[in-house]
Amino acid sequence: MRALHTAATGMKAQELNVQVISNNIANMRTTGYKRQRVQFQDLLYEHVSRIGTQTSAQGNRLPVGIDLGGGVKTVGTPRLMTQGTLNQTGGTLDLAIRGDGLFKIQLPDGTYAYTRDGSFQMDAQGRIVTSQGNVVQPAITIPQNSSGLTVNAQGQVAVTPQGATQSTVLGQLTLTRFINQAGLLSVGDNMFTETAASGAPQDGLPNTDGAGDLQQGQLEQANVEAVSEISDLIAAQRAYEMNSKVITAADQMLSATSNLMRG
Amino acid sequence: MQNALLVGLSRQVALGRELDVVANNIANINTTGYKADGSLFEEYLSNTARGERGDRNSGRISFVRDRGTWHNMSAGPIEQTGNPLNVAIDGSAFLVVQTTRGERYTRNGAMQINNQGQLVTSEGDQVLGDAGPISFQPTDNSVTIGQDGTITVREGNSKVDSLRGSLRLVNFTDAAQLRKDGGSTFAPVNGAAPQPTKTSRVIQGSLEKSNVSGVIEMTRMIELTRAYTQIASLLAQQTDQGQQALDKLAEVPN
Repeated sequence: MRALHTAATGMKAQELNVQVISNNIANMRTTGYKRQRVQFQDLLYEHVSRIGTQTSAQGNRLPVGIDLGGGVKTVGTPRLMTQGTLNQTGGTLDLAIRGDGLFKIQLPDGTYAYTRDGSFQMDAQGRIVTSQGNVVQPAITIPQNSSGLTVNAQGQVAVTPQGATQSTVLGQLTLTRFINQAGLLSVGDNMFTETAASGAPQDGLPNTDGAGDLQQGQLEQANVEAVSEISDLIAAQRAYEMNSKVITAADQMLSATSNLMRG
Repeated sequence: MQNALLVGLSRQVALGRELDVVANNIANINTTGYKADGSLFEEYLSNTARGERGDRNSGRISFVRDRGTWHNMSAGPIEQTGNPLNVAIDGSAFLVVQTTRGERYTRNGAMQINNQGQLVTSEGDQVLGDAGPISFQPTDNSVTIGQDGTITVREGNSKVDSLRGSLRLVNFTDAAQLRKDGGSTFAPVNGAAPQPTKTSRVIQGSLEKSNVSGVIEMTRMIELTRAYTQIASLLAQQTDQGQQALDKLAEVPN
């Protein structure tokens, strides 16, 4: 009985759905997190009796066929790269992006990763780094004993050196855009890396080409909406239950058949 | 005597098929743009076993046969996702997708942009516009899809909209011209040609959910398991009767 396997694909799909939803809910308060959504498609059909088959020499054709579907498959869990709301934190190195760009970060192995999480720190050498200590690109070193660090909307980092009255610009942060942001690979720690699907990174200055501007003293919150996650969770759980009921029904029918044989 | 068994069996085979259809509907209860299937049965008249010898008085026996499955093309509920590349279609139109097997039609508007900037489905097949595939420039942002399927973007820092194409929306005169082809797509049957349509409305930032109704499918499922077990017990009774008849007839009077 095919129904058993069909229902099993449904249960597996809903299990995965709940897994993705739970990850979204777990990351509701993660800075720069982008919610994922599972996309399902139906599986191939077996055309037991093919629609449109000629049934007579006069050219009569079957108006309906028998198509038996094999269940459901998961095609992807794309991220929804929409803007999250900005939360005022007051931290001088807390930066939020209002737009499509991502911060570029150098990993210890020399490769680059990208993030929307702008909760930066300063390391022992005065460089701007992420919470994991990876250097934000282009590397900007802040001299010791300087004060009044500002980052403007264009990404220019300026400080007032010791003894000076005017602030000097130390450098400018860049933002990177991808043509297909949803194609970036999530590598954990709020970071993404380039893939064949995302397209090549395009480094640019903030406030150009839709990369967005920077907001100092703010952090971008996750774009997870609790209400829609919970309603998705309820729907997924119900769908899981219904699929399990199909398995029970198929089992009952099979046992009815096997009970036909008596002593 | 055997006929009752065979009639019962024909019903059980049909019910088994129907459960397969119900199972597929329930498995796809959360599949974007999925259309539920229904089963059609018909009576199949046949001569009885004796009838084959030309005995006209024996009458005819009606078996059941599954005639086919049909697609319920009614609209599914529209869910807001907030993704600018998701569209739902209000109306009977389909989006056109270029697959390796040829043009396919879908109601699943969960689109992506691939690494070449083309508008594609989740499976990577191009979504076609009125003038072929739709491509974006690397600096494009703020994608807007109008009610008629027109796609506009803001290029770089520009303050005016640039046109990138228009989604091709087509319609079929009859749902029977389509068969399901997996991957939420439909294929035309016997070279049925799609007609361009202007009567449907494209809703950006939303997706059409599956039109499977959980209540209806569960009811159908209960109904058909009950019917199946009833027939099973009917068949068991028939077998018992046969057995009894044999026992009685074989009784040798002392």
